Amino acid sequence: MMAELGTNTNQPKIETKEQNVEVWEDLVSIRDLVLSLIICSVTTLGGYLVAPAEPPKPLIFGLLGALLGFIVCSFIIKPKRAFNYEDREE
Amino acid sequence: MDVTLILQMIVAAALGATIYTIIGIAPGTDETAVLAPVTLVLVLTGFHPVVILSFFIASIVAKKLTDSIPVAVAGIPGGVMAAPMVEHAMILKRHGVPDLSIRKMASGSVIGTLVAVPVSLILAKALVPLADVITQYASPIFFAGAVFLALMCKNRWLALATIVPFALLIQGLRHLYWGVGSIPEGTTVFISFFLGITIGPVILTLFELLNKEKREKLNRFGIKEIKLYKTKIEKGMPNPFKILDKKEIGTSSFAALLGSMTFFMSPVGMTIFLGETLSSRIKDPIKKASRAISSMDGLTNAAYISGTLIPLIALGVPLSPMAIGPANALFNAPPVLTLENNLHHLLSTSDFVWATLIGSIIALLLTFYVTIKYSQQICEFVFKRVPHEAMLGLFFGLVLMLAFMDAGWINIAGVLLVGLVAGVLHRWGINYGVQFMVLYSAPWIVSQIVGG
Repeated sequence: MMAELGTNTNQPKIETKEQNVEVWEDLVSIRDLVLSLIICSVTTLGGYLVAPAEPPKPLIFGLLGALLGFIVCSFIIKPKRAFNYEDREE
Repeated sequence: MDVTLILQMIVAAALGATIYTIIGIAPGTDETAVLAPVTLVLVLTGFHPVVILSFFIASIVAKKLTDSIPVAVAGIPGGVMAAPMVEHAMILKRHGVPDLSIRKMASGSVIGTLVAVPVSLILAKALVPLADVITQYASPIFFAGAVFLALMCKNRWLALATIVPFALLIQGLRHLYWGVGSIPEGTTVFISFFLGITIGPVILTLFELLNKEKREKLNRFGIKEIKLYKTKIEKGMPNPFKILDKKEIGTSSFAALLGSMTFFMSPVGMTIFLGETLSSRIKDPIKKASRAISSMDGLTNAAYISGTLIPLIALGVPLSPMAIGPANALFNAPPVLTLENNLHHLLSTSDFVWATLIGSIIALLLTFYVTIKYSQQICEFVFKRVPHEAMLGLFFGLVLMLAFMDAGWINIAGVLLVGLVAGVLHRWGINYGVQFMVLYSAPWIVSQIVGG
């Protein structure tokens, strides 16, 4: 999928860089987004389904699964942001 | 109230304040989308309502304190509500005093909270006599609310025209589930449709990514460049009453008072209107911008707290933008809470007072201190460590789980359908308010059409 996206831009110079799209006011890479959606869905729904079937355990497991997915994604996906410091204008 | 319960409230408030300090800073987070799913899960898990209320109050106070931090530190709003402040924060930045914006905004938030809590309690008491009338006609009132909000939209005729079809979609799915037996007849699917509407815009975008032509036409970006402005680290415990001058305290309190009294109006609209009005006569640009951002933050904070507390205490029906959006789970989260049996019915006035005090005081102590001292470090951490993909994944996962819980596998497709339609409506400029009001009044609308 990445190669296909890379061919979109006419400027070869930034070919490998300009592949992020804007979803909900911040930039994401489609590949990473799909990965994160899959990981979080599996951990959350998985947590809910494997929990003992007596409420409220499924929900608690599901919530923990969601947090786990969030943490895993935070480690394996790099934010599409770069920042540098601007000196104070005194 | 026993000691264990109070301890639980304190822990819940501290957790809420910590989580939403981080989420508040992350850019592009919509209040409803980040607050509603987590609150819903907590309600359904069966925590005591007082614990949930203190969690919620702490969360909104923390979220509100921190969503203006990225405005000051990087010039990008951390949430919808912080957008009106960007211009003024930029002026302070240009004059080389970005840390001044953080201090003024956070202090304005503190004033807003301090004003809103007592004012909401008093206003709620005054509104109690109306409660019987309002609860009796709740469905037609929601319908009227949908029509009213539709008329306020930019595309008002388009918004009006979508009310009945959208109600049909919701009721149609419910009847389908009853028909195929995925849920017992009479059980109403609510939570997952609510969340489907909330993340509708994201669902629509995800579907569009599957569309090859659309995907190729999408704007492509490199990496988001963010400029951070260096800020000094404060020494000692910050005091909001010293950070703001007397006039700023005056206008923030006044703005907070108005924000509480107009709890049923859109907080964003009021913020823009009042912030500009209250600062329009000041000449000095730094003073003008400080006055504007401190009073804007005071107002939004107050509008949040009173928009939650007043309908909750006085009516038990979510009749404010805040109540029908982020705070919705406190009113209606079947099967645990319903319009006939929610926090309004379960809690006494003293419960409300304690939960609000514990929630807001803990959030203010934790978050205000941290906000003033370490704003730059937190921003750096969030920008560097928390990918937007993980945030989207988190909420998507929660929505899937709640959809499955509501009516089984079939409902995952149902929620995607609701989200798809809601996303289109949202893109057409039909705001969440209209859609949530329709969700509430859908059974009534359909029965009126069929009956008449």
